[in-house]
Amino acid sequence: MSLPLLVTLILLLSSLTYWLGCRRAFMLARQSLSGKLHSRPYYYGVLAGLWCGLPSLAVVVVWHLAAEPLLIRMAMDGVAAAKGISSPDQANLLVNDLRNLVAGTMMAHKVDPLIQAAADQYLGMRRISDLALATVALSTALAGACLLLKRIRPTLRARNQVERVIKVVLTLCSTLAVFITIGIVLSVLLESIRFFQQVSPTDFLFGFKWSPQMAIRADQTGSSGSFGAIPVLVGTFLISGIAMVIAVPLGLMSAIYLSEYAGARFRAAVKPLLEILAGVPTVVYGFFAALVVAPAIKDLGAMVGLPVASESALAAGLVMGIMIIPFVSSLSDDVINAVPQSLRDGSYGLGATKSETIKLVILPAALPGIVGSILLAVSRAIGETMIVVMAAGMAANLTFNPFKAATTVTVQIVTLLVGDQEFDSPKTLAAFALGLLLFIVTLALNVIALYVVRKYREEYE
Amino acid sequence: MNEEKSGQMNELGDMGAMAWVNAGLTARYRRERRFKFFGLAAIAASLMFLVLLLGAIAIKGYTAFRQTQILLDIHFAPAVFDVHNLASANYAALVRDATLSLFPQAMDRQDRRAAIKLVSIGAAYQLQEMVTRKPELIGATKPIWVLAAGEVDMFVKGHISRDVTENERRISDKQATWIDQLAASGRLRQTFNATFFQAGDSRESELAGIRGAVMGSFFTLAVTLAFSFPIGVAAAVYLEEFAPKNRWADLIEVNINNLAAVPSIVFGLLGLAVFLNCMNLPRSASLVGGLVLTLMTLPTIIIASRASLRSVPSSIREAALGIGASQMQTVVHHVLPLSMPGMMTGAIIGMARALGETAPLLMIGMVAFIVDVPRGFSDPATVLPVQIYLWANNPERAFVERTAAAIMVLLLLLLAINASAVLLRNKFERRW
Amino acid sequence: MKKFVHIMTATALLAGTAASAHAADGRDYISIVGSSTVSPFATVVAEQFGKSSKFKTPKIEITGTGGGMKLFCAGDGVDTPDIANASRQISKSEVATCAQNGVSQIVEIKIGYDGIVLANSKKAEHLQLGRKDLFLALAKEVPSPAGGDQLVANPYKTWHDVNPKLPAEKIEVLGPSPVSGTRDAFVELIMDHGCSAFPSIKALQSTDEKKFKAVCQSLREDGAYVEVVENYNLIVQKLEANPKSLGIFGFSYLDQNADKIQASTIEGVQPEFKSIADGTYPVSRPLFIYVKKDHVGKIPGIAEFLAELTSDRAWGEQGYLADKGLIPMPRDEQKAMAANAKALNVYLNK
Repeated sequence: MSLPLLVTLILLLSSLTYWLGCRRAFMLARQSLSGKLHSRPYYYGVLAGLWCGLPSLAVVVVWHLAAEPLLIRMAMDGVAAAKGISSPDQANLLVNDLRNLVAGTMMAHKVDPLIQAAADQYLGMRRISDLALATVALSTALAGACLLLKRIRPTLRARNQVERVIKVVLTLCSTLAVFITIGIVLSVLLESIRFFQQVSPTDFLFGFKWSPQMAIRADQTGSSGSFGAIPVLVGTFLISGIAMVIAVPLGLMSAIYLSEYAGARFRAAVKPLLEILAGVPTVVYGFFAALVVAPAIKDLGAMVGLPVASESALAAGLVMGIMIIPFVSSLSDDVINAVPQSLRDGSYGLGATKSETIKLVILPAALPGIVGSILLAVSRAIGETMIVVMAAGMAANLTFNPFKAATTVTVQIVTLLVGDQEFDSPKTLAAFALGLLLFIVTLALNVIALYVVRKYREEYE
Repeated sequence: MNEEKSGQMNELGDMGAMAWVNAGLTARYRRERRFKFFGLAAIAASLMFLVLLLGAIAIKGYTAFRQTQILLDIHFAPAVFDVHNLASANYAALVRDATLSLFPQAMDRQDRRAAIKLVSIGAAYQLQEMVTRKPELIGATKPIWVLAAGEVDMFVKGHISRDVTENERRISDKQATWIDQLAASGRLRQTFNATFFQAGDSRESELAGIRGAVMGSFFTLAVTLAFSFPIGVAAAVYLEEFAPKNRWADLIEVNINNLAAVPSIVFGLLGLAVFLNCMNLPRSASLVGGLVLTLMTLPTIIIASRASLRSVPSSIREAALGIGASQMQTVVHHVLPLSMPGMMTGAIIGMARALGETAPLLMIGMVAFIVDVPRGFSDPATVLPVQIYLWANNPERAFVERTAAAIMVLLLLLLAINASAVLLRNKFERRW
Repeated sequence: MKKFVHIMTATALLAGTAASAHAADGRDYISIVGSSTVSPFATVVAEQFGKSSKFKTPKIEITGTGGGMKLFCAGDGVDTPDIANASRQISKSEVATCAQNGVSQIVEIKIGYDGIVLANSKKAEHLQLGRKDLFLALAKEVPSPAGGDQLVANPYKTWHDVNPKLPAEKIEVLGPSPVSGTRDAFVELIMDHGCSAFPSIKALQSTDEKKFKAVCQSLREDGAYVEVVENYNLIVQKLEANPKSLGIFGFSYLDQNADKIQASTIEGVQPEFKSIADGTYPVSRPLFIYVKKDHVGKIPGIAEFLAELTSDRAWGEQGYLADKGLIPMPRDEQKAMAANAKALNVYLNK
């Protein structure tokens, strides 16, 4: 029996159990006129369904993960011994042969009888394994269903049990974020340590010069690079700062207008339109920034006598600001819209105008959500690559002048990771160290933001 | 500001409150109008940028939906075919003979090469497909519209200028006169470019299509949506409604906010380590791409969902709890439906970003040239933004308009996703 | 709660598709990784190969040479690529990593040359550059213009300062960043030669090679050399928007945009297909692919793919690769390489 079929069957079975459970619960409710059911009837159904589905799905998952490699090993044991192959990599290629054969895809060379035999053996065993799995899984499902359907009586605290299962699921989901963080730190930490073995951490953290001009092959003798992260960080904050100067006022004012002034039809049309801005591929923004905005800024600068580089942080920041407008506008709009109408009415009742109500009542009430949306926008700005790389260049100048070229941490990470240099050279490893550094810096900023929000948040209810 | 006002109030006390209010009204109304104007101006500015961007793309890209074709009289000479193996016939030779018969004046080797280059190499595959479908064509002579080469297409559309000298363009003077001849004799036409929507990637601009990338994007986003929305909402609900408010909760909150700022390529590194190296999932598969994008969009969805959960007034919760609902019932029946619009917004923005993202896919092998259209979650696939990025790097000029056209398709997809989410959002939205 | 059934059905669909993803299929297509410079050529071959043979079209990932080598050298087996594209030769340490991971049988095939050109907009003056001019214009430190052997930070502002024959335009060159193989080739082929024109620096080569390289290969960072991303279409458009600047890029982009940009001559030679092929134009670099011999015969189609690549209709002088801008090798070298590819001679790094 194929796996999708089996899973579908189990799920159907558990739906059936749900229905049976509901019916039984309804019946009980009708019968026992004196003692009421503990929970609403549907909970008994759901509980029954869960008892039927969960254990047997667990069996399927474990079996599936364990059986495949085991079967392959058993089938390949004879072949590997006969061919005298010891290295796992060569065995791996033979396994590919076997799989190609089993899957019936084209073979490049004549079929080795040994492999053919192994494939037949494998197929045979897999048939047995599949059959066994189906039997075990379905009987688990039935057993679970029977066990629970029998236990349904008014005193069974079905709701509490169902809620406990849901809560466990919710908890698992929320810890996932922590695991992602751990994973990210681990995946950059190891390579960062290797980087810091070659470049001293103090040079990296406090160096004022970022210039990875070194040979791209180790066997070339070449100049050594300098890896001071400060200019790159400064560039990151410069460009994100410019972006926020654009996005926060435009986004926030749009949000206020949409939620407080605009009619329902206008709002329904404009909000999704603005959201398109967030979805335009960044390559498009990159071309726009590099070919339209940057030359325009340069010409403007020349007109007033300002020296503007053809690659400027300003161009990248401006365009990036446009891109993240919807982050501020849409999310803030939702939060502002969610401020209870009673607050507005109260304020109007006191004689405040709309704008006064917004400024003095609604914005403070919606502050945490607005800050959240702004944080999200900043995050997006910090993580953006393509616009910066196309419009602001890659030269790491230590400058706060928006008319000069600048670079960001993300740009450096991406260009270093896809470069032609050897992967183990400090140049590539520097990408990981930069990633780690950015992680720590944004962490610090987020902690500050959390405390600021706590301090200024106004709770009305 | 408040203190200032109350100060004024005392000073003007004898004039009476109404008089004082009336005195300030004009200024306050002016401020009100100004504020409203700023709001409208902000929206207008944002929309203007959108129109500017979309306009620029549309102007560049609309020509890609038309494709130049050339009418050739193909003689399916029976000698060329082996009845048992139709695929082995030399279809390129059929095309070549038919092309050369149009230009009897092309005598020397170089001229003949130039003439042959007018027709796309895809013409041979086109014939092969025709013959395989209808073997009775063998022996007949039939006029067939075949694809023109990408450069001819560019020339006809005016993207290769006639005004520059011969060695500065990819179409020689001779080829230009031939193209004019073809056009004059009605053997040249522009039709709807169906290939663009039906084919996978190709290095020949006239054969390149976005179907592979669209399918890849579809599979990838399906995985992302299926995982990130439920998990994100579940995590947000737990953190906002059930988790004890302590340092641990703060830590998770900061941590999630911080994840949103991690450069997307780092999620690719994580995906490489977890999904490919540990879980042995296939490289370049849209399943893995979707999982990596899930990791990336989760923080966005969690943050947006938490913000909207937080904005549900506590009176609602208290009322539900007060009439005996359990905490879980309160959340599922009352809080969750009320906070759905905000969660939808989070999902829209998260999906929009996932749909446009290239960097994290680099590490898991989805930034790749893949010709075959993926048919499942485990086939090697690429996605639309990657396709756009790759085409934007191609030297051939014909890819410029195709890049823009692909972007238009991507934006349409985005609009479709947004529209469905917006419908859902409007269904749930309400104000207290 | 009534949604329970719906949720179950949805999960069933999802589980079904996810499970089918896990099916134990082998790999029946060639997997290629590596340089973004080689991939435009490799993809053409792959497409031709896929359309004209019974095999599937190979998958070509663009990872950069270094990233590609890392994947390539991770070991033998279906999870690893069969072929790596490289815009430079494989390095000793990469060969060592490969060997360590059991990839000892590597076949090297040089596929041709990529010309590197300097070009500016047609609206601007056509430049005739020498390598010495370029060194003086772009090096971080140059011999003092006042005379003497002392090295000073590059003082030159305009091309005219560098060489009186050149126009008095500000020096601005858009070129690749230090992680690019194009930059590496540019530095080795132009800057190294240019700085050897100064006896005092040339003397360093024998005494202090490290210093010599440092002097020759460091490009200035004061804004005259602008590091840009390797999106050459973007560079072409930037040159158009900004006629005063020069750009460094691959020959195929010049070939496609000859109506917009013009290449500067280097040492009096105009970069053209012919002059690069016969070596009179001095700035070109070889492109390579590396093949795992152990995978040949195991992954379907590798030998046939190599045959297609080394055929005359692909990399010959009139072949479709030349059409895309790859500069073919001389006939004899090509023949030797083709034989090499056929016999799968294993590459040994000296």
